[in-house]
Amino acid sequence: MQKDNENRIIVEHVYKTFDVYLDKANSLKEKLLFWKRNRKETREVLKDINLTIKNGEAVALIGVNGSGKSTLLKLMTKIIYPNKGKIITNGKLTSLLELGAGFHPDFSGRENIYFNASIFGLTKKEIDNRLDQIIEFSELGSYIDNPVRTYSSGMYMRLAFSVAINVDADILLVDEILSVGDQHFQEKCLAKMKELKAEGKTMVFVTHSLGSARELCDRAVWLNKGVIQMDGKTDEVIDEYIKETT
Amino acid sequence: MNVFKKLYDYREMLKTSIKKDIGGKYKNSFLGVLWSFVNPLLQIIVYAIIFPLIMKSDIPNYVVFMVCGLIPWNYFSTVINRSSFTMIENGNIIKKVYFPREILPISVVTSETVTFLISSILILLFTLGYGLGLTINILFYPLVLLVQYVLLLGISLIVSSVTVYFRDLQHFIGVLLQLFFYATPIVYAVDVIPANFQWILKFNPMTYIIEGYRDIFWGQTMPDIPTLLIVLAIGIVLCIVGYLIFNKLQRKFAEEL
Repeated sequence: MQKDNENRIIVEHVYKTFDVYLDKANSLKEKLLFWKRNRKETREVLKDINLTIKNGEAVALIGVNGSGKSTLLKLMTKIIYPNKGKIITNGKLTSLLELGAGFHPDFSGRENIYFNASIFGLTKKEIDNRLDQIIEFSELGSYIDNPVRTYSSGMYMRLAFSVAINVDADILLVDEILSVGDQHFQEKCLAKMKELKAEGKTMVFVTHSLGSARELCDRAVWLNKGVIQMDGKTDEVIDEYIKETT
Repeated sequence: MNVFKKLYDYREMLKTSIKKDIGGKYKNSFLGVLWSFVNPLLQIIVYAIIFPLIMKSDIPNYVVFMVCGLIPWNYFSTVINRSSFTMIENGNIIKKVYFPREILPISVVTSETVTFLISSILILLFTLGYGLGLTINILFYPLVLLVQYVLLLGISLIVSSVTVYFRDLQHFIGVLLQLFFYATPIVYAVDVIPANFQWILKFNPMTYIIEGYRDIFWGQTMPDIPTLLIVLAIGIVLCIVGYLIFNKLQRKFAEEL
């Protein structure tokens, strides 16, 4: 078992830059004809980020668009890698960056639960155990055996969220997905998040919804132009953030 | 090794991905998976009519001879073709979710292997239909298949990762495969090629694999085991090199796609 105060995520001196091609020569023809014309701009998205997240913490990442929040989250899940520095994660990690990744429209909801959950690294047995819970949470009822392409967008999102939230991970990385479905389902999701928090899961949220951040997180990290502007208690950071940005 | 543990942890994803590859392809078509049977059958019929017409060949049971080359070739070329698309097709998940990226090429090779196993029934049917019968040598069929699988896995790792950076390769591969079709003894026998061009066939690993299948079904003899083992060794080296390349390139997949 993990100790309570153990570090779940350690981010050490992380730098991330993206190459932005202003007019990239994509095809061979363009490469030959305009071989000089390959201007690129290097954009520094994250500069020397240091962050340690302990077990059981719920952290909100806030900041204006383009401040590097989502990039930091992607680095934590190992979808992209830093240019400098390192990131250590400890325990089973699930990222809810996009819902329904890997859904196949021609297969039924039930089959897609298996596809989607397996992307999160679950085994058949683990999925079997969670299947009823997932279907119940999604409130899809008998629609679960219909092909996903017949679903409304709300049903689609509900199913995807139900799978993601029921993956029993130690660390949950969430990118702006609390805006799923109708009011009723949103409240249900928030309640589920709180429940997971109470169970002692570690969570990192990227969010613009400051209200739910206050409600859910005990710590907030404010990113501004790729550096950490402030790190501390949720209310204090958010108050300061609101003061600065308005 | 680390990679094997990673793949073991994600075995369910590998399984569903293979299932999706096989089932998804024919999901909305009337004949379904039967297409992996009907399609090559139609191709065989066309080739069986055309090639004896344009080529003077004294090969006995020519159709069986050709089927033994054509079916494994289809397996080979489909894998390479699909490998060049798989990352781009799955760009959506690659950008959103972490999972061992190796799963994608492995799933391409494996799902096509299943398709090949189904269409191997055709080899069997033609062999029996021409009254050749089966010999104990059929026991070597899994060995030849293993050699081809390992070779394809190595190629697939390289092709799938390199195409992310050089999209032109996709189109180039199509042409290259067409050229390769004629540089492989599929519709003709090795000995009809003039001596000064023989080296092309010698350097083509598919030559030995097709001859392996051909020995088993058409020739009713034991395949050339030492040669096949050499091809297997080349395949293993290709897998290791392929994995190293893949591992290096995959770090930037999400940014390139």
